[in-house]
Amino acid sequence: MTRRYEVVYIFDSALEEPAVNERLARFNALLGEGTEVGTSHWGKRTLAYPIKRRDVGYYVVSKFEAATELLPEFERAIKLDESVLRFLVVLAEEYAVTARVPMEGAVAPAEEDDE
Amino acid sequence: MIMKSRSKTCPVCETGVRVLDYKDERTLSRFLTDRGKILPSRLSGMCARHQRQLSTAIKRARQLALLPYIKGYGQ
Repeated sequence: MTRRYEVVYIFDSALEEPAVNERLARFNALLGEGTEVGTSHWGKRTLAYPIKRRDVGYYVVSKFEAATELLPEFERAIKLDESVLRFLVVLAEEYAVTARVPMEGAVAPAEEDDE
Repeated sequence: MIMKSRSKTCPVCETGVRVLDYKDERTLSRFLTDRGKILPSRLSGMCARHQRQLSTAIKRARQLALLPYIKGYGQ
């Protein structure tokens, strides 16, 4: 099953942009091909509190669709990377909204369970 | 004691926003106390649905260092 996710990375601000892109490409490669929906670089931001003794982080937000089984390996790869100060993977908000709309061609279950 | 009337409508519903975004720390910070605690709906006047969204959004923003866990600590 594929679901839509959103991931926020906080990279070490000492990292140059090409190095960040290289890592993003490596992480995305773990999700299978043609899954990325969009990436936006926020750039350097001051952290609200220090993480690993750093006060500034390089933020990147990325949205993608991926099979649920690929996620643990994806997260493990990020955790192993020392240059990622922190990351967060969440289900993308739009998914939660559209998930309630029944799929086209699907049998309407409402007619079956009227008790 | 600050007592707000119960009839006050939810500040998030008023703006027409359906889902609170954890990445929008400027909006979220409006619902924090000066120490960085989440403002109770009793004071913010938020509807239950948005208050629930707010609490997860703030907790996510804290993990990402967009918002502090404790404001004004160690400064």
